[in-house]
Amino acid sequence: MTPNTSATGPGRRSFLASSAVAAAAVAGGTPLLAACGGSGSGSKEGTTSARDAKKILPAFVARNVVTPDIPSKNGSSLGFTGKLVAADLKTSVPGRLGKGSTIRIMSPFWGSPPKGDNPYYRAMNDKIGVNVVWRNQDGNTYDEKLGAVLASGDMPDVVVIPGWNMGGRIPGAVISKMADLGPYLSGDQVKDYPNLAAIPTDAWRRSLFGGKLHGLPMPSSYVTNIVPYYRKDVFDEKGYDLPTSAAGFLALAKEITSARAKVWACDDMKWTAFNAFGVLPGSEKPLGWNLVDGKLVHRVETDAYLEALEWTRTLYSAGVVHPDAKAQNQGDSGLRFTSGEVLVYNNDLSHWWARTTEQASQNKKFRIAGMDVFGHDGGEPALWAGSPAGIFAFVSKKASETVVRDVLAAANVTAAPYGTEEYMLTNYGVEGTHYTVEDGTPTKNDKGNQEVLNAFVMLASPAPTIAHPDRPDIAKAQVEWQQRMGARTKKSTFYGLQIIEPARYTHLSDDFEQLEDDIVRGRKKIGDMQRAVSDWKRRGGDELRDWYRKLLDDNGSAQG
Amino acid sequence: MAQSTTQIAPAPPDPGVSEADRRTLERAANGGGTFRTRFRRDRTLVLMTLPAVLLVLVFTYVPILGNVVAFQEYDPYVGDNGFVAVFHSPWVGLEQFSRLFEDPAFWDAVRNTLVLFTLQLLLFFPVPILLALLVNSVLRPRVRALSQAILYLPHFFSWVLVVTVFQQIFGGAGIIAQTLRRHGHEGFDLMTDPGVFKFLVTAEGVWKDAGWGVIVFLAALASVSPDLYEAAAMDGAGRWRRMWHVTLPALRPVIALLLVLRVGDALTVGFEQILLQRDAVGPGAAEVLDTYVWWNGVRNQDFSYAAAAGLIKGVVGLGLVLAANKVAHLMGEQGVYKK
Repeated sequence: MTPNTSATGPGRRSFLASSAVAAAAVAGGTPLLAACGGSGSGSKEGTTSARDAKKILPAFVARNVVTPDIPSKNGSSLGFTGKLVAADLKTSVPGRLGKGSTIRIMSPFWGSPPKGDNPYYRAMNDKIGVNVVWRNQDGNTYDEKLGAVLASGDMPDVVVIPGWNMGGRIPGAVISKMADLGPYLSGDQVKDYPNLAAIPTDAWRRSLFGGKLHGLPMPSSYVTNIVPYYRKDVFDEKGYDLPTSAAGFLALAKEITSARAKVWACDDMKWTAFNAFGVLPGSEKPLGWNLVDGKLVHRVETDAYLEALEWTRTLYSAGVVHPDAKAQNQGDSGLRFTSGEVLVYNNDLSHWWARTTEQASQNKKFRIAGMDVFGHDGGEPALWAGSPAGIFAFVSKKASETVVRDVLAAANVTAAPYGTEEYMLTNYGVEGTHYTVEDGTPTKNDKGNQEVLNAFVMLASPAPTIAHPDRPDIAKAQVEWQQRMGARTKKSTFYGLQIIEPARYTHLSDDFEQLEDDIVRGRKKIGDMQRAVSDWKRRGGDELRDWYRKLLDDNGSAQG
Repeated sequence: MAQSTTQIAPAPPDPGVSEADRRTLERAANGGGTFRTRFRRDRTLVLMTLPAVLLVLVFTYVPILGNVVAFQEYDPYVGDNGFVAVFHSPWVGLEQFSRLFEDPAFWDAVRNTLVLFTLQLLLFFPVPILLALLVNSVLRPRVRALSQAILYLPHFFSWVLVVTVFQQIFGGAGIIAQTLRRHGHEGFDLMTDPGVFKFLVTAEGVWKDAGWGVIVFLAALASVSPDLYEAAAMDGAGRWRRMWHVTLPALRPVIALLLVLRVGDALTVGFEQILLQRDAVGPGAAEVLDTYVWWNGVRNQDFSYAAAAGLIKGVVGLGLVLAANKVAHLMGEQGVYKK
């Protein structure tokens, strides 16, 4: 996995987490306010104003170690499609910045973690000059452990938190329990760590919690990462044309489906429906609001939201969705796709490459490709921008200055851009031990696949990068897909801001995701959603709208 | 679901000793004397129980205190750790409870829990008894050992596996549906049908754990003296009469005990199994109290709210144990405990 794909790689829950970034309990009067107050940057609920942010944000110093073959456009990642010559690798971190501290890091891990003491971790530690001890936790159930660990007195020195796990009171925990990195990184200070200085400012802005710089970000492209994938080999063979509208998709799906032959057209397509119908993002609460004709509108209030659900519901009732997808937690959608039981499924961008390499030896005919998100009416889709940073590493408030500096030293290595020795070490491990280079193509061996996975890439990453030296064609296709979709992507009003809603609204929207799934599967009706929305307004949705309105009037949007 | 697995059947009362005699024996065993003399005599035994008592205190009684968060708006992140946070979190009185009672999803969970409990009691509870009688009637040791092994085996499969197997057989793309389709019929999907969900869950439970539940009853049956059967047979009792007058009375105390325990545990109808299949039919049909608590507490981190739901479950459960125990006493059985 390249770092940007691991930002988006984890399980399907990541996109569904309706409880994404939520409120922190810092409403007036609670002791927490005293615990974290006094920075002079105003209230902790809300966001960091553009004026304050300017003072706190690290300076940006671009680093062009290797010129990308495909430059970023329309918010896409940088694409690298050329050969990788070992002798040409640059050194971005001369010498060792680390002072040898022991750093305990808790981080989500997708897959089975390697032994704590292995050649990859040793080589990284040696390069950085620290002793990182990894506490890897299952990424798919990370949110279930995170709360308890943050609440315990024995918190690790560094905790990695994906944006989609920041539900409930987690942002409040970040403010009250995590170190302020501003004194180390604000303004020109970041230049001590040149690779961190090259992280895009948008990603840093997302790391501001309650007026302070708390996180080390993993930048990501803001373009939607939900790709509707299709089996190109089967489509070509049968002569199916790619759908260009919602109705076209349904017609094609009916043509494809043959339950008797155990072939269904698609898996659950809810996320694609949201994109096709132009529904505001549900991944993070602030992104779901948008200013329309002077009035803030929430995603659940829009017609597009209901239409997208209705269309997805039609797919289910027409019987073109695989029954195991209807049962939701059963089996792996990727497996249904590769085995040919479904021909279309949606997942994040990383699957394009992952499925290809996975099937290369098993099924030579297998071809996966992403279709462009279609506009529901046959026109251009209206897409909304997601978050420019997906995963954050936080340092505990209790960590000493030496430890904080050593964490930054480690992040400076892991954030090294493509084409450097540090990037290779972080993402491929040690040559000979974890990968071999043939004809300019580094290929991980079994040991590499087992050990060089997650862990260090979670600490901080360079600007979003897509590079698959083994399959440059796929890297190219991925970046081009992002650029085409990026051209149709708009930013909603609160794009790029880390906003903490007041505690009393923390659980206001908890039930929507469940209701969506009930409706598309035919267990509840669209009318139930309309009732839920009016209930939502009554129980606080309208107040929340006023709260956001005031925030907007006071602070302006990030783009402003 | 696994209501019977760890309970050990009490020895059936010795029919030769009258109630009055038993009381006398007990008093003798207590040894009389002051607390001090008794303590000095039994101090070794007391010492030996200490580790267990400590464990119960630390892991059962101390956590009970945590229920105070049900009356707070608990935020685990104020203060240094989760314990200290209890002292810093604001008190909200009964607000969590009124929120709970206003939530239709909570009442869905209550209803589903009770329906499932009733179904399990009617369809699951008798199965191990019948199986035990069946196994007990097998006389050849090898056949008996083999049938026992086959019956016990499913208990050791994890729920994930059981649910997957059921999905592969009864699901919309499962073996049965596909076979039907190949022969020109309509397929069907048992696994995503909210209407049959509770029967499905009960069926899975029977498949997995009914065999395991046999153990307790077999143990009770083993203690029935063969003399009784011989005597009954001599008096001309046939198969059915022997079962009615010898076997079943021997099982009665065990059945009563397990029934009391089951009723006391009525609000616990399975957690992992239901959580795994909850999304297949939606919470309207599948949410039970335990998954409701989990969903709100662990997933949504609405700790105080979940604690309130858990507390209600605990209090109602306590009432049910006491009531069931009372009924057992009225029926002349031992029950779980006796004053």
